Amino acid sequence: MPETRADNVIMQKVRDGDLAKMAVLFERHHRALFRYFTRLTGNHGFAEDLVQDVFFRIMKYRATYRDGSPFTSWMYQVARNAYLDGVQKRKNETPLFEESVPEPASSEPDPSEILRRRQDLGLLRRALAALPVEKREVLVLSRFQNLKYDQIADILQCDAGTVKVRVYRAIKALSQIFFELAGEKAS
Amino acid sequence: MTCDQVKEHIADYLAGALGPAEAEELNEHFAHCAACKQEAETLAATWEALGLLEQEQPSEALRPRFYESLEAYRQGLQAAKPEPVRHRFFDWRLRGFQLGWSAALLIVGLIVGQWLGDRRHGRTDLARLQDEVQHMRQLVTLSLLQQQSASERLRGVDYAYRVQESDTQVLTALLHAVSHDPNVNVRLAAVDALHRFADSPAVRGSLQQSLVKQDSPLVQIALIDFMVDTHDTGAVSALSSLERSSMVNKNVKEKAVWGLSQLQ
Repeated sequence: MPETRADNVIMQKVRDGDLAKMAVLFERHHRALFRYFTRLTGNHGFAEDLVQDVFFRIMKYRATYRDGSPFTSWMYQVARNAYLDGVQKRKNETPLFEESVPEPASSEPDPSEILRRRQDLGLLRRALAALPVEKREVLVLSRFQNLKYDQIADILQCDAGTVKVRVYRAIKALSQIFFELAGEKAS
Repeated sequence: MTCDQVKEHIADYLAGALGPAEAEELNEHFAHCAACKQEAETLAATWEALGLLEQEQPSEALRPRFYESLEAYRQGLQAAKPEPVRHRFFDWRLRGFQLGWSAALLIVGLIVGQWLGDRRHGRTDLARLQDEVQHMRQLVTLSLLQQQSASERLRGVDYAYRVQESDTQVLTALLHAVSHDPNVNVRLAAVDALHRFADSPAVRGSLQQSLVKQDSPLVQIALIDFMVDTHDTGAVSALSSLERSSMVNKNVKEKAVWGLSQLQ
């Protein structure tokens, strides 16, 4: 997602009391936020509630937005907090992802061959759901939200090198789960 | 470049963010390290496959929900705005002046009201007041239904009893709560609140769809009761699909069979 100067200017206006400008920010970002939450939670209804919550928080905490700070990174920080609070509140309710973490497969087929041959997106979706949330999050931010590593570093409040290591570990773990699932299916 | 250094560059390799010099070093390493090359290719294939996953879209209800909450928030801020502070020097004079004027206007108003006593005007004012109260109730209901806390959302459902039956925005919010609220108690309360709207074909249709998609057996049972109470014969196909499904909770299935026997 390209960071636009206009977003920052609009957010400054919102902060200074022009709440009608929230509509512009909503129209620009609500779809991306919805996809972010859908990939994280696997639940459309919950994802929409979280999108709603993010824009509510942006209004409520608008005074904390600092001049010149990148809006997208700030928005995703708000989004992460909304997600963590939302998950905490749902603790005793319906599990978000229904898929369980697969058991390791007994035989190991050639991984790259399987991926090329099958392109099984259903398995990939299940593998993504089975990934621990901190790994899923870094993949969602880098692969689906098209954020650059230094932007992700801002959001996760670490340095870009750490983000790159986390991306490597996450994609590797995802591949392993995928091939385990594919192995189960093949056996 | 060592194997460990390659791992540090994989993220940039996947994102296509390697500089020319780094890309060349990586390719040189791959030329004599089959393990690293194979790992990079596998990870790149997974990375590419992720891009093929469908881009999901939010429902049409999200946009109106946002604009309603924005409006409610703005009105809330406006209502909470403090009165401007007057200069203390003129304060006592202004207050005396205002008090005098208010008393005079009140007396004039009473006299004029008594003399003229135009009933038609009275009715217009009353209708306007009722409109305003309805609007306020609608805002409170919609705002409560969007709160984080489940107990606040339950209050919102309770408030929904006070709005008019023709209020489509509250109706939409209640239907949304039945299908999407994360809390089962809120969903159950919303089903009860929808009894007032049961004559609407849109409500019936929406609840029939919700019945099949629900993940909570309790809500499904409440929906079946709703359908039987309201003699919704259009629900037969939704109930039949529950009866046939092997994934449905046993109690829900029994309830669906009972519902079918009542409606057919």
